[in-house]
Amino acid sequence: MRIVKYPFAVFSAALFSVMLITPITSLSNLLWLSSADMPVSLISFLKVILFDFQRLGIALYGVIIVGFSIAFSVAGLIDRFTKLGGKYLYAIAGAAAVGMALFLMVELLFQTQLLGGNRTTLGKLLHIAGGFFGGYFFYFLISSERNYTFIIRFLGILYAYLLLGLVLEWIFTPIEASANFGFIFNDLSSNAQNALLRDFTSFFVASFLFSIFGVITLNHIWFFSVGIIYIGAGIFNLIAIYVHGTGFNQIFIFEFILGTWPILLGLSIYFKTKKS
Amino acid sequence: MKLKFFISIIFFSITIQSSYKFETVLTNLDDAWSFEFLTEDKILFTEMPGKLKITSLIDKSTTEIKNVPSVQYASQGGLSEVVLDPNFENNNVIYLSYSAKDENNKSTLFLLSAELRNNTLINNKVIFQAKAPRRAPAHLGAKIAFLDDNTILLTSGDGYDHREKAQTLDNHFGKIIRINKDGSIPADNPFVDKSNALPEIYSYGHRNMQGLIVTKSGDIYEHEHGPRGGDEMNLIEPALNYGWPAITYGIDYSGAIISPFTKKDGMEQPLLQWTPSIAPSDMIFYEGDIYPELKNSFLVTALVSKDVKKVVFDGLENNQESLFSELNSRLRNIQSSPSGLIYLLTDGPNGKLIKVLPKDL
Repeated sequence: MRIVKYPFAVFSAALFSVMLITPITSLSNLLWLSSADMPVSLISFLKVILFDFQRLGIALYGVIIVGFSIAFSVAGLIDRFTKLGGKYLYAIAGAAAVGMALFLMVELLFQTQLLGGNRTTLGKLLHIAGGFFGGYFFYFLISSERNYTFIIRFLGILYAYLLLGLVLEWIFTPIEASANFGFIFNDLSSNAQNALLRDFTSFFVASFLFSIFGVITLNHIWFFSVGIIYIGAGIFNLIAIYVHGTGFNQIFIFEFILGTWPILLGLSIYFKTKKS
Repeated sequence: MKLKFFISIIFFSITIQSSYKFETVLTNLDDAWSFEFLTEDKILFTEMPGKLKITSLIDKSTTEIKNVPSVQYASQGGLSEVVLDPNFENNNVIYLSYSAKDENNKSTLFLLSAELRNNTLINNKVIFQAKAPRRAPAHLGAKIAFLDDNTILLTSGDGYDHREKAQTLDNHFGKIIRINKDGSIPADNPFVDKSNALPEIYSYGHRNMQGLIVTKSGDIYEHEHGPRGGDEMNLIEPALNYGWPAITYGIDYSGAIISPFTKKDGMEQPLLQWTPSIAPSDMIFYEGDIYPELKNSFLVTALVSKDVKKVVFDGLENNQESLFSELNSRLRNIQSSPSGLIYLLTDGPNGKLIKVLPKDL
């Protein structure tokens, strides 16, 4: 368990920082839109915040994981060989990692600010603060032994986070979402349009909620439920291809991955519970 | 089923490849950005590092023009557009757009007029310097076109980091500029009498506009790069606001939503928008006779989709067709020669000039 503790602490701290950092760009854009007399409502506000958390967040997540891995390794060495250890060492390492990532993003990408929220001094400071708190959270995670439920919960949250993009698309932009699945929305009858939006939205929202319930309750049934839905989608995808001749659709690979992931989580919980 | 599919692909490929023939006329062009025909067999072209050259398309001999202004060749900037004055045959005047540092060591867009005589530029005069200072030369626009009244239109991009300024009139970010040939401001410009507005502005709310043409009927068509999605083609009218970044069909490169809005009263809708992005880089309205099937079509070169989009408008609807995708090249510029032959310029170092020939020529 000690072996996986540090990687999971990095992944978790990075996700925590992403949660703090992505709203900076969202709010920066929303504040400007408001000042430009655009009709920013609660719905459009939620749409921006949630979409950014998923789309921008995933991009940032990768960058921050790399940055944190390097920074926390260096901090760990300093911690080991000096008396400078403690929570603030990792917090400063987290801040430095985010600061360096932001600097490199500008220098390597046409010297332009990729992140809208990073164009002002306040925005830069808030991003670095996000890294600081991520580092602090990392120290919190490694400073005491975590049991397996922490890892299960983290993997469950990560799974739900990946599903969140699909959920948001089907809730806020269902026509574009249906186009991604090959539907030409306007060519469908009104009944078909209704069925498409109703069923697909329900499918993704339900599977997202099941995984969240699994994380909260640590009841394997919720994870099995999600897994069955996606494994089923993969199986019926293959049946559609080879029995009904619908044409090859490689999305079945992702369906099996999305199905296997929660089933493994569910099995882990099941055997652990049985054992104890 | 699979066999049928592959046969149809092969047949389709043969059909496409036999529609046009391609002849590579020039190679090893160093980031060439635009070109103009001096005669049927001689072109004047720019290379982003700051070179202006004349090349014979017959013997390929190239002459570098002297006294070209210093440019800032970095990021997306450098020596950009070259166009001939409508009265070039008599006055030898050309116009160049380029990025360079301003008096405060910031990058911005410049427009220069000069006479081209004996392979040298003389009487160089900066007729416009954009009030759009930025750290790096990104999103410059830099396209030039002439209106029938002999005034000049110039696209000035949003500078990427300054996109919000496209909505205010006290700067040149995200604007189409209209000036006289000597750099003075036409008295009938739309914002001449408006306080806190720069008088050169013709329209606003644009992003990075790299296609600009004026048709024989006097209509102004422009296209601009969107971010991720939301590339647009617009019909330009004076004083109008084209919405960027308050309304857009694209999202940011980072994945963030720039604006959740696509429409608003007082902001113009595009004639068409491309999502996902094709990265439109140049445009002509083809009026020649060599390719009858292309006559009276807009031909838009694209960097990402690596083709030319043939666009025909039918009222508010548009029909599009992908052309020349077999070249599989990022296409930077397109021109029609005096006889009506189409030439394409590929993007980047080791660029090529490619002549498009009808299959039966």
